[in-house]
Amino acid sequence: MIKIVKRDQPSRAIFFFTPVLAIFLTLVAGGLIFFILGFKPFEALKFFFIVPIADKYGFSELLLKATPLCLIAIGLSFCFKSNNWNIGAEGQLTFGAIVSGGVALLFYEQEGFYILPIVILAGAIGGMLYASIPAILKTYFNTNEILVSLMLVYVSKLILDYLVVGPWSNPEGFNFPETRQFSDSAKLPLLFEGLRIHAGIFLALAAVVISWFVFYKTYLGFQMKVSGFSLKTAKYAGYKGKKMIILVFLISGACAGLAGVGEITGPIGQLHREISPDYGFTAIIVAFLGRLHPVGIIFASLVVAITYLGAETAQIFMQIPKYTGQVFQGMILFFLLASDYLLFFKFKFIGSKK
Amino acid sequence: MNTKLKISNVTKIYPGCVANDNVSLEFNSGKIYALLGENGAGKSTLVKILSGVIIPDEGEIYLNENNLKLNSPSDAKKNDIGMVFQHFNLFETLSVFENLIIDSDEQREGLREKIDTIMKKYNFSIDLDIPVLNLSAGQKQKVEIIRCLIRSPKVLIMDEPTSVLTEQETSELFLSLKKFSEEGILIIYITHKLKEVMQLCDEVAVMRRGKLVSVSQIKNENIESLANKMVGQNLKTIKKKKAKTSSDQLIKITNLNFTSEDPFETNLMDINFSVNRGECLGIAGISGNGQSELFQVLSGEIISEKNSIEFNKNYIGDLNPQERREYLMAFSPEDRLEQAAIPQMKIFENVALNNFKSSNFFNNGLINENKIKEHSKKIISDFNVNTENIELKSQFLSGGNLQKLIIGRELITSPDLLICFNPTWGLDVGAINYIHETLIKINEQNKSIILISTDTDELLKLSDKISVIHKGKLSKIMNAEEVTSEKLGILMGGAN
Repeated sequence: MIKIVKRDQPSRAIFFFTPVLAIFLTLVAGGLIFFILGFKPFEALKFFFIVPIADKYGFSELLLKATPLCLIAIGLSFCFKSNNWNIGAEGQLTFGAIVSGGVALLFYEQEGFYILPIVILAGAIGGMLYASIPAILKTYFNTNEILVSLMLVYVSKLILDYLVVGPWSNPEGFNFPETRQFSDSAKLPLLFEGLRIHAGIFLALAAVVISWFVFYKTYLGFQMKVSGFSLKTAKYAGYKGKKMIILVFLISGACAGLAGVGEITGPIGQLHREISPDYGFTAIIVAFLGRLHPVGIIFASLVVAITYLGAETAQIFMQIPKYTGQVFQGMILFFLLASDYLLFFKFKFIGSKK
Repeated sequence: MNTKLKISNVTKIYPGCVANDNVSLEFNSGKIYALLGENGAGKSTLVKILSGVIIPDEGEIYLNENNLKLNSPSDAKKNDIGMVFQHFNLFETLSVFENLIIDSDEQREGLREKIDTIMKKYNFSIDLDIPVLNLSAGQKQKVEIIRCLIRSPKVLIMDEPTSVLTEQETSELFLSLKKFSEEGILIIYITHKLKEVMQLCDEVAVMRRGKLVSVSQIKNENIESLANKMVGQNLKTIKKKKAKTSSDQLIKITNLNFTSEDPFETNLMDINFSVNRGECLGIAGISGNGQSELFQVLSGEIISEKNSIEFNKNYIGDLNPQERREYLMAFSPEDRLEQAAIPQMKIFENVALNNFKSSNFFNNGLINENKIKEHSKKIISDFNVNTENIELKSQFLSGGNLQKLIIGRELITSPDLLICFNPTWGLDVGAINYIHETLIKINEQNKSIILISTDTDELLKLSDKISVIHKGKLSKIMNAEEVTSEKLGILMGGAN
C-alpha cells in the first residue's frame, strides 16, 4: 500500500529535483500529445528539442531567446521573493522598448559611441517608470498589483501600436506599421559574424551576478527574504515596507526594459508591432522553474528558450502549429507546481497489514 | 437512563510525536469528568477523536456497549456526542437563530419553540434575532451549547471553555454544566486550569505527553498534587520581590487613539498611562479587546501622533519599530511563529531581525555574518536556548526554546523597556518559569516592562501595577497588591 505522509521539513534535495522532474514529465506528456496527433513521439520530440540546437546557428538562436527570458526572470525574482506579484513584465518590456526606441530614432543617421549607452539607459528608465505605476498604486492606494500590472501590458501594446502606425512610422515605409531602422551606433554589436547573438547577453549575465550578490550578501536582500516569508515580521522588524515594494518593482521594471532594448537594438533594429513573443509572460515560468535562484534561472531560461525554437522547427519540418511551444511552456509550469507537492509530502510504501 | 462512554486503547501518531499513546478511559453519566494536561499533552487530540474530527490509528470507542465508528463530525452528532470547541464556529454576521438553523434538521417554527424551551429551562437569555457579532464571548458560548442541546446529546464535551470568559461568566457556565450533569448528560471538561477542576469536576484524568497518567476522584486530590501529576516534577514557586519604588518616569502615553479601517480590529480610545523605571505594568483583558492593537501602537508597527508617546524625554509616537529600538525599547510579540521569528530561517538570521545601528549586523548595506553569528552564540548561552547550532532552522526549536531565543534577542542589548505580549502562551511549565524569572530579573536591574497578557495569574505574579483593557479602553491603573483575580474578572467583563 502507498501512503502519503507529510514531510517534517521541506526537502532540500527535492527542491532542486522537482524542476528536473517537471521537465521530464513535460517530455513524456508532450510525446503523448504528439502520439495522439498522429506523429511519431520520439521523432517529434527530436525535432522539438534536439534539431534546433544541433548546429552553431541554432545554439546562437538559443542564447538569443534565452537572453531576454533570463534578464526578465532575474528582475521578477526580486519581486516574487518579496511577495510582490508583478506579472506585467511584458508591458514593462514594451514600454522600455518604446522609450529606448524613441531615443534611438532621435539619433537617426547619427554616429557616436555615446549613443548606445543612452539608448540602453533610456530603456531601463522606461521599464522602471512603467513598473512604478503598479508599485505606487499598491503602496499608496492599496490596489492589487496583479491586476494593475497585467492590464498595463495591454495599454503599452496599444501605445506601441499607435506610435508605429502613426507619428513614428517610417516616412519611406509604404505605410507598413514600423519605424525607421536605427543607425548602427544605436544597435548592440553582434558577437560573431553571421550569427544573431549580440552583446545583450552580457547585460543578462551581469544581472545574474548582481542579483546573486544582492540576494545573499546585502541588507536589502535580507529584508526581501524576510518580507517574502512574513510581511508581519518585516513590519515588526521595522523594515520600510513601502520603499522596498517600490524598489523591487523598479529593479524588475529596469530588467524588463533592458530586455526590450536588447530585442529592438539587437535582432530587430527598429520598432514594430511584434517586438516580443510574450517573453514577459514566459519569464514568469522561467523564474519559478529556476526556483528564483540566479543560477537556476540561467538553466531555466535555456530550457524554456528551446520551446520557442522547437516550435518553429516543428512547424517547418512537421507542420505542427508553432503554438505547441506555448503548450510546452504551460506544461512545464503545470508539472512544476504539481511536483512541488513532493516538497511537503512523501510517498511511503508500507507492507499490507494482516 | 445511564450513559457509559468507553475509550479503549486509542493511539494516534503524528510524524515525530505520539499524540495519544494507548489511552483507555471510562466515563459514566451523572458525573463531570476533567481531562487535564498541559498544552501538547494530547487532550485535544483525544477529544477530536471523540468528536470525529480525527480518526485514530488504533483503538475503539464504545457508547453504551455499541462500538462507534466516528469517521466525521456528523457521525459524532448522529451518535449524540456534542462538542463545544475552544474557538467558536459561528458566522459573525448571521443572526443567532440563523446560526442555529444551519446545521439543524428541524423546521423553522419547531426549532424556535425548542430553543425557547431550552433557554427557559437553563435561564439563558439571548436575543435570537441579533447578529452574533453583537454577543459577548459568554453569550456566543451559550449559542454553541444550545446548538448541542437541540440534539439532546448524551455526551457533551467542552474544550477549554473558560479561556475567553470572565470570572462571572465562568461561574454561570459551571452552574449550567452542573445542571446538565444532573439531567443525565455525561460531561467531559478539558482544561489545564487546576482551580476549575477542583471547583467543578467529580473525577479527573491527567494526561502527559500523550499518555494517560492517572485517573482519580477529586476529593482525593488538591491543586499541588494535580499540578505535579500534570507536569511530572515538583514545581518551585517563584515570587517577585516588591520593587523599589521609583518615581523616575520612563514612558508616558497621553491621549492615544487608534481608529482602524479593518472592522475586525479594535479601536483604541483615549489611552493614558505611564511606567516608571524598574516597574512592571500588567495589562489584563480577554483576548480581542485591543491588546494586539495596543502592542502594535507601542512597538511602532502602527504609527501614532508624535506627542502621544513620550519615552525617556523624547517624543517617539511617529517612529517605526527599528527607530524605536535605537531609543532602547524592545518588543516581544504574541505570535512567535508568524511574527517574532521566521521558522524557515536559521537561528542567526532570526537574531538579525532585531537590528541596532551599534550592533553592526549590516555595514554599508552588506550583511556582516560573523558579527551576527557571534551575537547569536552569546544569546544561546546566556538565555539557555537548548541547542549549539546557530545554523539550525528555528522551526526545529520547541516553543519554549524559541521564546527564550526571542526574549534573549530582545534583551541582550539591555533595553530600558521591554514590551511583551503573552510571552508564555502555549509553553510548558519549565519554560514559563524561566521566562518569568527572566522578567523579574529585568525589573531588578531597574529596567521596565509592559506586560500585556490574557493570563491573570501571570499578571498578578509579575506586575507592580495592573490595568485592564476592555473594548479598546484602559481601566484606571491599580497597585497589584490591591487587586484580586475576582476584581480583574469584573473589569475584564466591562463593569466599572
